[in-house]
Amino acid sequence: MSDRQTKIDPEEILLLAADAARVALESGAETYRAEETATAIATAMGGAEAECYATPTGVTLSFMGGDGRVRTILRRIKRRSMNLERVALVSALSRSIVSGDIEIADAATELGRIESRRALGPLASSTAAAVGAGFFSMLFGGAWNDAIVAAAVGAFVSRLPPVLAARRIADFLASLAAAAAGTLLCLAAREAGISSSADATIIGVLMLLVPGIAVTNAIRDTIAGDLVAGVARGADAFMSAAAIAAGAGLSYWLWGLVAGGPG
Amino acid sequence: MSPLEPLWAALATAGFAALFGLRLREAPVAAAVGALGWAIAAPIAAATGSTPVADLAGAVVVGLAAEIIAVLRKRPASVYIACGIIPLVPGAGMYYTMLQYSRGLNLEAQETGISTLAAAGAIAAGIAISGAMARIFSLRRIAGRRRPTPLRRRSDGTEAPGGSPKEAATSRRR
Repeated sequence: MSDRQTKIDPEEILLLAADAARVALESGAETYRAEETATAIATAMGGAEAECYATPTGVTLSFMGGDGRVRTILRRIKRRSMNLERVALVSALSRSIVSGDIEIADAATELGRIESRRALGPLASSTAAAVGAGFFSMLFGGAWNDAIVAAAVGAFVSRLPPVLAARRIADFLASLAAAAAGTLLCLAAREAGISSSADATIIGVLMLLVPGIAVTNAIRDTIAGDLVAGVARGADAFMSAAAIAAGAGLSYWLWGLVAGGPG
Repeated sequence: MSPLEPLWAALATAGFAALFGLRLREAPVAAAVGALGWAIAAPIAAATGSTPVADLAGAVVVGLAAEIIAVLRKRPASVYIACGIIPLVPGAGMYYTMLQYSRGLNLEAQETGISTLAAAGAIAAGIAISGAMARIFSLRRIAGRRRPTPLRRRSDGTEAPGGSPKEAATSRRR
């Protein structure tokens, strides 16, 4: 253990630390957590000094190895999706690296395993979305029939953004389309007499799309002093809120044209 | 507040926890945190008529509960915070803002929009406050988590050769 520093290739340390931060950020971790993860791993593995600068779109890690040379790596982050289990696992991995319980090769394998952890399958994530949307609609004054409509529409709508993203449609348009489809289906269900309140069902469905966590994280980053990351997350959240509002508004407008009067 | 509301909040939170990729056996814990936040915020909102104040209180309680659970279960607090604040997130406010704009009620929409933004800010402030409280009351965790460049520690407790990494770095530079 005591000659850990001399044995490990500094490039490997750099890659592992930067990739750990990248996986954390891609999974929705806070900026400070990703930065701390990278610097903690780099210094624990034998780096003399490490500085990490993370934003929602990229990580830069600069690191001085045991040989006194300075190396820097840049990792770009292009996709971000919430995966709390990965956040927890990366955090646990970095803790066991810092405490010296795991060697670098094992740590790299483990990080790869964490990264390849799949999110929920389509069926499971639709079920989760149905539960979330249904009970939110009850929380906002919906009756049982409203909750059932919200659950059904929510299960469908939650699949739209990932399916559209796989076809390289921009997030903005995917959110807009999902919000428009959800609103239209809820209005139709009310018109058909299946649900009694359009508002309660639509709120339940839109909760699935609303960037609530993104808004909160943007403000939290800013409070924590990660100003660039905070502003970037804020812009991201603002754009998806605008997309959802535009989508829902578009459906109301269409509904008014067809059915002669807003909901 | 209907006595069933915290239950709906719990179940909605559980759905979102699964959607956010939390493993299923953690979902009941996240659900309890979500229900707690709603049970704090809803009566305050009803009594004061102020959503931001209610959300602030709810978020502080959610944050504290998450910090305690995080220590007990050795996982990051933010995992439970992300799920627990879901019932407080002003999704309904965003929806009504959009609805009022689309109906040409611009003044009302502005009012709802500002109150929605304030609620989001209050939630973030509440989380920041509870995080600060957790750090103040637990010095051990400051030492473990918030130090920017931690010194290397061997698992057997000895220091790395050449003293602290910082000193080694300086001597090498000279």
